[in-house]
Amino acid sequence: MSTSTLVPKLGIGLAYQPALRSFIEEEKSRFDFLEVVPDILWTNLGRGKTPQYVDNPEGTSFIRKMRNEMVVIPHSIGLSIGSVYSFERNHILQIKSWYEWLDFPWHSDHLAYNLAEHAAGEMNVGVTLPMPRDRETLDLLAPRVANVREQLPVPFLLENNVYYFSFSDEEMTEARFLNRLCEMSGCYLLLDLHNLYTNCRNHGLDPYAFLDEIDLDRVIEIHIAGGMEYGGVYLDAHSDISPPPVWELLDHVLPLCKNVGGVVFELLGSWYESVGREKLSAQLVRMKELWMRHQPAAQGVAL
Amino acid sequence: MSQQCFQATMARLVVDAVFRDAVRSKGDAALTGDLTSLERKRLTAIAVDRGLDATRMLYKGFRLSKLYATLPLTSALLGEKRLGREADLYWAARVSVSLYYFEEAFGFCDHLQARLKAGLRVMYLDEVLAYERASLELQRPRGNGDSPDVYDVEFQHDPEILLNRLARGKRPRAVPMLKCSVRGHATKDEGVQWHFLSNESSESTNHGLTTRKRVIESRKQHAL
Repeated sequence: MSTSTLVPKLGIGLAYQPALRSFIEEEKSRFDFLEVVPDILWTNLGRGKTPQYVDNPEGTSFIRKMRNEMVVIPHSIGLSIGSVYSFERNHILQIKSWYEWLDFPWHSDHLAYNLAEHAAGEMNVGVTLPMPRDRETLDLLAPRVANVREQLPVPFLLENNVYYFSFSDEEMTEARFLNRLCEMSGCYLLLDLHNLYTNCRNHGLDPYAFLDEIDLDRVIEIHIAGGMEYGGVYLDAHSDISPPPVWELLDHVLPLCKNVGGVVFELLGSWYESVGREKLSAQLVRMKELWMRHQPAAQGVAL
Repeated sequence: MSQQCFQATMARLVVDAVFRDAVRSKGDAALTGDLTSLERKRLTAIAVDRGLDATRMLYKGFRLSKLYATLPLTSALLGEKRLGREADLYWAARVSVSLYYFEEAFGFCDHLQARLKAGLRVMYLDEVLAYERASLELQRPRGNGDSPDVYDVEFQHDPEILLNRLARGKRPRAVPMLKCSVRGHATKDEGVQWHFLSNESSESTNHGLTTRKRVIESRKQHAL
């Protein structure tokens, strides 16, 4: 299948969490689309099981209801596209089955791995582990992205990963690696500004140098979020509203991303109570103001 | 092949503190498998990077959140410190194999049951564990509609007093003896309805349903 030629300018999105349901229903005028990690709305019973994936009826019912009112974009975590050990082709088929009823204009996953070989079996670390930015990693990823793109007729985005340790003697900078990956595989980017901020803060890097080097024409979606300090390390915890440096990054980069379709705010449901409705609303209002200032065109863009 | 070994070793550094410490102290000599010299250099550097500890904390936090979400009453009964100790023992013996909550919960139930058989003494734990495990069995996604319809659990102490105290986050003390059986039914809204089968006061109760509803919401909040 070929990639769709049009990416709609959706606007502001909110990442779905069950704890945000009442907010989503009551404050839906504050955002234009919903993003969902589909893996939390199904259970993977394991390879060889029939069916392998069982949708959560209650959760998917809510998403179906929301789909009648706005676009819903899947942002998956279960593909583990970087795992040398295993490539989860059935996961792609599950996303494809969701495309048939959700009809999303793009979808995304994480540029990372969480599945690895362990003793005689496998382990799922449950966190997105980084991969070295080397040619060998590109050679692993490119055909896998091609496989995803063959299955779904809409752009496939990979998110720049958060990493708390880095690798010595890498062949490429992160931006150059992402540019090469896009060129080789035809994927697009989900630019997570909070991941970028977290990485730069923890590793003493300049986020603006990254943004200068990255091909911003490949960015279709942007994420922002908040985090916390723990043991001398800043965590991408999705535990708060976005800190000022992330807003500055968004203000800087949003007008430069000509193909961007939306900006999404991520908040983990367990932090909703401490953040509160007012601050979450204010976050979305501020995002909308920036969107209207920098991306006023309502029509989509041809890729 | 070395790329696969590299990823497996890096993941092991995150999940296995004993292995991590061995690499910290012995360096390259603690690494086995088909690894290039560059991969060995990277892995020994990661082992002493404080970012590895942050990653491990996130890994443990995710696994712990699964237990709090799926086994809230067992977690409340054990208390934070004992839960942490038991979780560490369980995790040392069994790596996480899935992103999903049920698998982790059932594995931890097996661990606690084995510990009880081996002599672990925690008042009421066998009853609370049996109750929560049965609730999970009734809610576990199985596909093709082959979930069991009912589950029976035996209590030696008054389940309403015991479970309600735990559901409010309080440690139960001096719960009256009450030998009884309760039966759980899976409901259409993915909850569980419990009622007494036989006991000294035969009124039915929806206590379990209320409790399970709370658990379901909690599980979803923490999902992934």
